[in-house]
Amino acid sequence: MSHFQPSTAFEASDGELELLPFRFERLDGDQYLVSNLVGDMTFLSGPDLRRLAALDLAPDDALYALAFEKLLLRRKGQRAPLQLLAMRQRSRSSFLRTPTQLHILVVTLRCEHSCPYCQVSRRSTDRDRYDMSFETAARAVEVALSSPSPHIKLEFQGGEPLLNFDLIRAVVPFAREKAEAAGKTLDFVITSNLALLNDDVLAFCKTHDIVLSTSLDGPEDLHNRNRPRPGGDSHQLAVEGIRRAQATLGKERVGALMTTTEASLGRVEEIVDEYVRLGLDGIFLRPLSPYGFAVKTKQYAKYDSRLWLEFYERGLRYILRLNREGTYFPEFYATLLARRMLSDIPTGYVDLRSPAGIGLGALVYNYDGKVFASDEGRMLAEMGDRTFELGDLATDDYASIILSDKLIDLVGRSLTQCAPQCSSCAFEPHCGADPVYHHATQTDPVGIKPLSGFCARQKGIMTLLVDLLENSPEDAAVLRRWAA
Amino acid sequence: MEFAAASQSLGALREAAYRLIGQATCQIDSVDGVHRCRLQAARSGDADLRARFLDLVTDENLREKLAAETGPTRNLILALAFGALATAADASAG
Repeated sequence: MSHFQPSTAFEASDGELELLPFRFERLDGDQYLVSNLVGDMTFLSGPDLRRLAALDLAPDDALYALAFEKLLLRRKGQRAPLQLLAMRQRSRSSFLRTPTQLHILVVTLRCEHSCPYCQVSRRSTDRDRYDMSFETAARAVEVALSSPSPHIKLEFQGGEPLLNFDLIRAVVPFAREKAEAAGKTLDFVITSNLALLNDDVLAFCKTHDIVLSTSLDGPEDLHNRNRPRPGGDSHQLAVEGIRRAQATLGKERVGALMTTTEASLGRVEEIVDEYVRLGLDGIFLRPLSPYGFAVKTKQYAKYDSRLWLEFYERGLRYILRLNREGTYFPEFYATLLARRMLSDIPTGYVDLRSPAGIGLGALVYNYDGKVFASDEGRMLAEMGDRTFELGDLATDDYASIILSDKLIDLVGRSLTQCAPQCSSCAFEPHCGADPVYHHATQTDPVGIKPLSGFCARQKGIMTLLVDLLENSPEDAAVLRRWAA
Repeated sequence: MEFAAASQSLGALREAAYRLIGQATCQIDSVDGVHRCRLQAARSGDADLRARFLDLVTDENLREKLAAETGPTRNLILALAFGALATAADASAG
């Protein structure tokens, strides 16, 4: 039986013009950014936007063709644009069909660093009190493997997880055995500062195909200033660790994340150069988050969204230049957003999802067995705010955690599809609800978006990316290559 | 600033006032067929505030028009996108 429509379905319709749903944002002056239902974007002048809205168009004008190309318009009776938008919308939302792929085990809260921007409020003593037990970890693995996703990522975090490496050594084979029985595949990540990396750890990672993710804030003086430890040798140990891990595991099996402090703001080129020098596979230019010691020590308040956006734009333009000159080196946040803008592949990045990624994208199992909707929710709990605590491994299972009234309420209230200002925002198809950030900064999971640093950063970065994609062919080619 | 209630929706004024949060506060009173908006700038010397508010109201009026005109089409697209999933869920439940 044929699944093709009859040829008449493809004939041009002579029906009246009709607008398809679209959104717009005013930029400077009378210039607008317009996006269709699934986020295909274009710039329009004010007169063109008003002409489009009034359907004051003729087949021989450029706006007419653009509006059809961008799925802003159809002729009544044309079904293909509706079917295309529906199919693309379904594809973009398909992350909902494989919930909770990421499961984070906080194997200890202890750490030998004393970073003033630490977002997890590390502890320096008391192994018995702040280390996860095997029983708790085993229960976390069972809960993780009972999520519907066929592919599970287990991430070991801290504190510094290598301070409780014996637990990781026991949990990994246990999880492998359980996953095999459940017919699921597993990936492992250890998020470590690498100061305690040794041959034993590397050999274990090699045997069990474990990825290492570390922190590198830039050149030695900047990194050591941001990340103090006894001996003042954090940078040296991180660099040695990266090199040893690259040599043993392969370059693609070790990555690094940077955090932007006030001291970083004028030095983005040096930070990027350090990553390139070490052969890392890209960089994620990240702002500080409003959690843990970053708030207590007032690090978070030392720069605003505007300063961070200037830092980001300068960094991205520098990275694009390196790429244009022949060095393949992506900026990972631009890559994530470009992929959202240029394709309908569902995002795996929990902060760019609506419904929000809390719980549905990731669960966090704290050292004491408490379960949180996100890593940031766990960070808030260490500050005394347990809004995002969903349960306890001693008493809960996956279903009771995911279907808890608390999670459903938080996810339901924060939908960008309904939130004030978000619902009519041109960037909404590529953005996400971030209820933890907005709760932390405004004590409201929805947040007043005109006051939201998250919103300001998202709009700033996406406007920059659309501008590059539309007006800078060489940079657009680089962005397309990253997104591919 | 005053707007005739007969030709200016209150909803669009409220949306415009929301978008001004952080830059200004806007108190809206509706009396005798007139919407009266009292703007108070967050910083003194904000000379462009009235013009910015009018721009926002213009945009919100257009958003209202678009939402009214395209709402049924949006619902149809979403039904096409996700209706089959509801059918599948019903079938598996049944």
